[in-house]
Amino acid sequence: MSDKFAYLSSVERSRTYLIKGLQTVQAHDGYISDAAIEAIAAYFSVPPVDVEGVVSFYAQFKRTRPGKYKVAVCDGTACHIKGSISILEWVGTELGIKPGQTDRDGLFSLETVACLGCCSLAPVMSINGKVYGKLDRKGTVKILKEYRKNG
Amino acid sequence: MPNEIKFKIDGREFTAAPGETILEVATRNGISIPTLCHNQKISRTTSCFVCVVKDKRTGKFLPSCSACPANGQEVESSSDEVRDMRRTALNLLLSEHAGDCEAPCTVACPAHAQVEEYVRAGRRGDFKKSLKIIKERIPLPLSISRVCPRFCEKECRRNVYGKPVAINDFKRLAADLYYDEYMEDIPVENGRRIAVVGAGPAGLSAAYFLRRLGYRVKMFEKMPKAGGMLRYGIPEYRLPKAILDREIAHFFKMGIELECNRQLGLNLSLDVLKSEYDAVAVTIGCWKAGSMRCAGEELALQGIKFLERIAANDWTGNNPGKTIVVGGGNTAMDCLRTSVRLGSDDVTCFYRRSEEQMPAEKLEIHEAKEEGVKFEFLVAPVKLVRNDAGKLVLTCQRMELGEPDASGRRKPVPVPGSEFDVEADTVIAAIGQATDAPPGLAVNRFGDLDVCEHTYRMSDNVFAAGDCVTGAATVVEGVAGGRIIALGIDGFLSGREYRPEPVVNVSRGHWQSLRKEDLVFLRQDVSEADRVPQRLIPIAERTSTFHEVAATFTPEEVQSEGKRCIECSCTAKGDCKLRQHSQEYGADPEAYKGARLQQGYDNRHPVIIHDRMKCIKCGTCVKICAEVVNKNLLSQKYRGFATKVEGLFGRTLPDSCAECGACVEECPVGALDWRFKA
Amino acid sequence: MAEIRKIKVGTASCGLAAGAGAVLDFFRDHAGVEIEEVGCIGHCYAEPLVEVVTDAGSVFYRDVKGEQACLDNILALGETGRLEVSPSRRKYEMLKVTRLAGRICPTSFDAYVAEGGYGALKKALTMTAAEVVDEVKRSGLRGRGGGGFPTGMKWQFLAAKQAEKKILICNADEGDPGAFMDRSMMESVPHQVLEGMLIGAYATGADILFIYCRAEYPLAIKHIRIAIDQIREHGLDVVNGKKLDIIIKEGAGAFVCGEETALIASLEGRRGTPRFRPPFPTDRGWNDYPTSLNNVETFANIPLVIGEGGAAFAQVGTEKSKGTKLFALAGDLKYPGLIEVPMGTTIGEIVFEVGGADPDQVKAVQTGGPSGGCIPKELFDTPVDYDSLNALGAIMGSGGMIVIGTDRCMVETARYFLDFTHRESCGKCTFCRVGMMRMYETLERIVAGKGEMSDIDFLADLGPKIKKGSLCGLGQTAPNPVLATLRYYKNEYIEHVRDKRCAALVCNALVDVKLDPEKCVKCRLCIRNCAVGAISDDFVIDNAKCTRCNTCIDVCPKHAVARVEKGEGYYAE
Ligand SMILES: Cc1cc2nc3c(=O)[nH]c(=O)nc-3n(C[C@H](O)[C@H](O)[C@H](O)COP(=O)(O)O)c2cc1C
Ligand code: SF4
Ligand code: SF4
Ligand code: SF4
Ligand code: FES
Repeated sequence: MSDKFAYLSSVERSRTYLIKGLQTVQAHDGYISDAAIEAIAAYFSVPPVDVEGVVSFYAQFKRTRPGKYKVAVCDGTACHIKGSISILEWVGTELGIKPGQTDRDGLFSLETVACLGCCSLAPVMSINGKVYGKLDRKGTVKILKEYRKNG
Repeated sequence: MPNEIKFKIDGREFTAAPGETILEVATRNGISIPTLCHNQKISRTTSCFVCVVKDKRTGKFLPSCSACPANGQEVESSSDEVRDMRRTALNLLLSEHAGDCEAPCTVACPAHAQVEEYVRAGRRGDFKKSLKIIKERIPLPLSISRVCPRFCEKECRRNVYGKPVAINDFKRLAADLYYDEYMEDIPVENGRRIAVVGAGPAGLSAAYFLRRLGYRVKMFEKMPKAGGMLRYGIPEYRLPKAILDREIAHFFKMGIELECNRQLGLNLSLDVLKSEYDAVAVTIGCWKAGSMRCAGEELALQGIKFLERIAANDWTGNNPGKTIVVGGGNTAMDCLRTSVRLGSDDVTCFYRRSEEQMPAEKLEIHEAKEEGVKFEFLVAPVKLVRNDAGKLVLTCQRMELGEPDASGRRKPVPVPGSEFDVEADTVIAAIGQATDAPPGLAVNRFGDLDVCEHTYRMSDNVFAAGDCVTGAATVVEGVAGGRIIALGIDGFLSGREYRPEPVVNVSRGHWQSLRKEDLVFLRQDVSEADRVPQRLIPIAERTSTFHEVAATFTPEEVQSEGKRCIECSCTAKGDCKLRQHSQEYGADPEAYKGARLQQGYDNRHPVIIHDRMKCIKCGTCVKICAEVVNKNLLSQKYRGFATKVEGLFGRTLPDSCAECGACVEECPVGALDWRFKA
Repeated sequence: MAEIRKIKVGTASCGLAAGAGAVLDFFRDHAGVEIEEVGCIGHCYAEPLVEVVTDAGSVFYRDVKGEQACLDNILALGETGRLEVSPSRRKYEMLKVTRLAGRICPTSFDAYVAEGGYGALKKALTMTAAEVVDEVKRSGLRGRGGGGFPTGMKWQFLAAKQAEKKILICNADEGDPGAFMDRSMMESVPHQVLEGMLIGAYATGADILFIYCRAEYPLAIKHIRIAIDQIREHGLDVVNGKKLDIIIKEGAGAFVCGEETALIASLEGRRGTPRFRPPFPTDRGWNDYPTSLNNVETFANIPLVIGEGGAAFAQVGTEKSKGTKLFALAGDLKYPGLIEVPMGTTIGEIVFEVGGADPDQVKAVQTGGPSGGCIPKELFDTPVDYDSLNALGAIMGSGGMIVIGTDRCMVETARYFLDFTHRESCGKCTFCRVGMMRMYETLERIVAGKGEMSDIDFLADLGPKIKKGSLCGLGQTAPNPVLATLRYYKNEYIEHVRDKRCAALVCNALVDVKLDPEKCVKCRLCIRNCAVGAISDDFVIDNAKCTRCNTCIDVCPKHAVARVEKGEGYYAE
């Protein structure tokens, strides 16, 4: 295994921990590269194609490098009923990207998520894990502008 | 045994050992349950759900490949509901499955000749094999290779980039080279006798296939010679009659008898035939000329009669002078080009619709123009008179295109006040043909003979096919009908009514809707060359003689055309379980139309092709590679509808693949297969 | 004035999302009294929530801000901003499982023990394992994860197994978008969930305990992790004389992994695809060891069952559904949040009395999330229990309850659920993988105004077949939202298809947007904010350009812009 993924050694070396290993890499690198797949395969003694199959199954894993700020607009049931599609439109317009994309500066990436578990505050979005609730257009745009200002 | 389990399938009691699945018990007892993802070599997958059975008590459907029976359980495996569920599963799989069970050329051929196969044989230079494949469906290859409008080429996928493969020329070369020497296996006569009335394409074809089925066949022909339209309709310059004679000679070699100058209702009695023969095939064609529907039309010649007269006179005749042919079909083209050859230097076609709407073959129109024929579109005859100078005067009216009619074509409507006169020496009406039904035979609302659509049976032991059933069509369609009639008669006489086998043909789509990326290149050496141009005799020879216009391709030319063929059909068409079950359950690829996963194919591996668009995601290959071969080179990727099966980072099979072919052998469809066709 | 003992700030996810973090920091710095972090009491609509504990009882403040004025009001026990809990909510709620939620500090072992925590475990350890199983059976407790399988039976199966290792799994995947009961319990009373698991381990003889939690719940994971450390410190992880392996595993974003066999595959480090049962997990589970799975809420009920006894537990609820149930209320109602009511409470009581929804504004309620179905207002006297809801074509599911207002489009709602399920299908079996896609495509066509009447029949025909022909619970329930809306709101489908009309004005392809010049004050906010320049200088919206994004509707201070029926708007060409 290349030194690049040496930190994997903190994860127990058994297939049961394969997903944990992937999560560890993603937390570290922000995404899972081809090299990471091969390193993990070697670490857990699992065929690389199997690892790729697992990675692609789970929505959490990204195969491309995400932006510095990962904006996740919740499209769970409550948020959808409360107009999450508009939120998505507004965020998309403000950032100039569509869900699944990262902007050109690598600052923002946008995705939708199934449910952030904060339905009573619908509609909500999260930026790098921080949840913002009861969004309206103004609030949404303001939050994004704030992040942009901080760069 | 104390542990054994007693349960019922479709009311019959069976005994299962502990751990045995319902499917295993059923198979052991000869009950067939369809499966796709089940494979004894690997652990259970439970993916396809075509193996479902219904638990009678709970009403639940169980995948029989994985469910073990319980004591006292009763399951249904053949009820309508179970069949419907299986059909639905198959319909759903078909809806995401993109392949071509048959090559589009084969599907397009009215006779369903195995086009791709005879093209491949030709490409390899094996013209004898090519001819053998052709003759399984086309008993008149010398003629059809010269006169066919080439339905196959219109659907050829090669159209996606450039011109179609010159398919018909494979037939022509193969037949020119080996027709005379090739003899099929002819069974000894089985003692039954069939009369075929009318020795045109349909009659000849019926006789041919009946003879091959063991019947003794006698053809009755009203004209002095056999051939029908091939002889008396299609001009010499397209089909030299010496070649037709060669073609027909083979029928005699096969032991088929022929009696000429016998016409139904005149000197031939249907009742007598019916009683003297085991069955009668009526293939009398369409010999009644259509009407111009204008005053004085009796002054015009009828197109088919005109051609018949010239034919009977060995393609000689008087110069018709200034000639007008009314009509836009292939008969009109034949009349025009024949008139040119008879010496006229002023030949014009009058057609009441636009050029794009002309039913005649584009090639025919093009060649007619080359030979100096003039065209007047959007004109319709109103009146025909003979003037004092003895000349014909045709009064015409200009037309314009209006609303679409029932056929979807924009209907020509007269432009008021646009009448004009033209003088001519000869006016020929080539407006279409109709069946001249002999008395005693039932006709349908188009005036054609009325037959059962499956068996082509009329009544009693009388069957009919060809133009007299379909209305004027093409030679190859007549030949296709002749084969059905033979099968219909054979079924009738052996007491099991003939039913065409259900055929499921998945298709990637017509070439018009495809891009080059959508084509699957089995071979990496498909030639990028243009189509070999057709060599023609010099124009002066064309306009002054009836010599055959188009030349036969050389073997080199045919082989280079063969290299252009993409080989569109599925590599697994003979052993695809999806297709087999779909046919058995009446599944329909069109039932649940919707998106298919666009995932292309991989032909980088030297011997294996992975056509992902055909994959039904059963995972068999994944498990074979993991559990049997122990290589672990494949996996499912993604999930839901987007699930796909492939190797690491999108490669089908990496270099470490053992090339054992275990996955290829077990893939239930043609998604993973050898890259070569036999 | 009563004396203030301490101030509790609710810092569960709902509170934090509403800004409780800032409140906490500010109060810590400025309040001068003890500040304690607690979980969620269920009144999520009122977050940030603060409880002021005085010697004369507690006072709750809602929508608290981290500002001096707010703090002053609270320290003075002012009347403004107090949380008023309606008498009707008090009447129907029954706080048993959630008794401690939001009342104690989730990360304090002592706080839980002070409230009697781990008493049930102690009691269980005085019984035989078989007695514990019997007690659970006697309680009639059925699994809260959706299936409703009797928990006692499952434990009995596992207890009966002889194996080198036995596994007990807590299913905390909570994938239903719209449900948050499990999250709330783990965040607020992690010890209660663990106590249930330890009792389970004792009863079944399990050696390894997994908690499979969705990764989107970092706070829940954190609290559970702290709680595990604490019980280890106190030696409570030694059961039946052996030290238990207690392992938290984070999910990775796949709804289907809530299904037990898929969850096990995921725990094994594989793709989360379900497999055919039997063999059931109790026969062959994680790495082939006998395994039992239970839901978070199920485990949270266990201390109650043992503490008060199965018979007492069974006093509450209906004949076949015992105890209370948590519901996550969301959607078009006044008091979204977490509630606990006895089984058998009617939907109407939950939605109107507890949730405070306006009866005139409610059309239906969706239970069971994407696997469930809608129940129209006309049937709101249905009691919530496993069997009554099934009979209506809805399901109890895990307890998500979304109130759907009169201004919502049912066809679009069904489309939304299928959008979710068809993408969450694991892709293994034909009916679910392809069938759901075909249904989804059909719904897409219908909401786009491109449907045909035959599409409606197609949905009605294929839906039940998918349910019958799918391997796991996902496919077996995924068509429900469509079938239920077809059952109760077929007219809306017909309108979309035949009249190309969305009465609720929701489906973008079937509406126009129009500006009412009477109401417009010409502030130009809409013009400035329209991303596609669809609004002209004289305040006319060109519907040919408009993307129906709602921005103008949202920014207009005078509500002069509105959605109207297709054809009523202006088109430039
Ligand atoms: C698609 C699908 C998703 C599920 N998601 C969950 C879930 O998020 N949480 C849960 O506890 N059970 C879920 N279940 C139910 C579990 O399969 C299982 O029945 C349950 O965890 C058993 O626990 P219980 O008996 O305590 O309810 C799901 C089932 C299916 C089919
Ligand atoms: S490319 Fe070959 S197989 Fe394909 S349609 Fe043309 S002739 Fe047929
Ligand atoms: S390629 Fe593999 S998964 Fe696809 S159909 Fe063939 S065996 Fe099944
Ligand atoms: S029903 Fe759907 S989720 Fe369940 S196994 Fe089948 S494809 Fe997978
Ligand atoms: S599911 Fe039984 S054979 Fe495929």
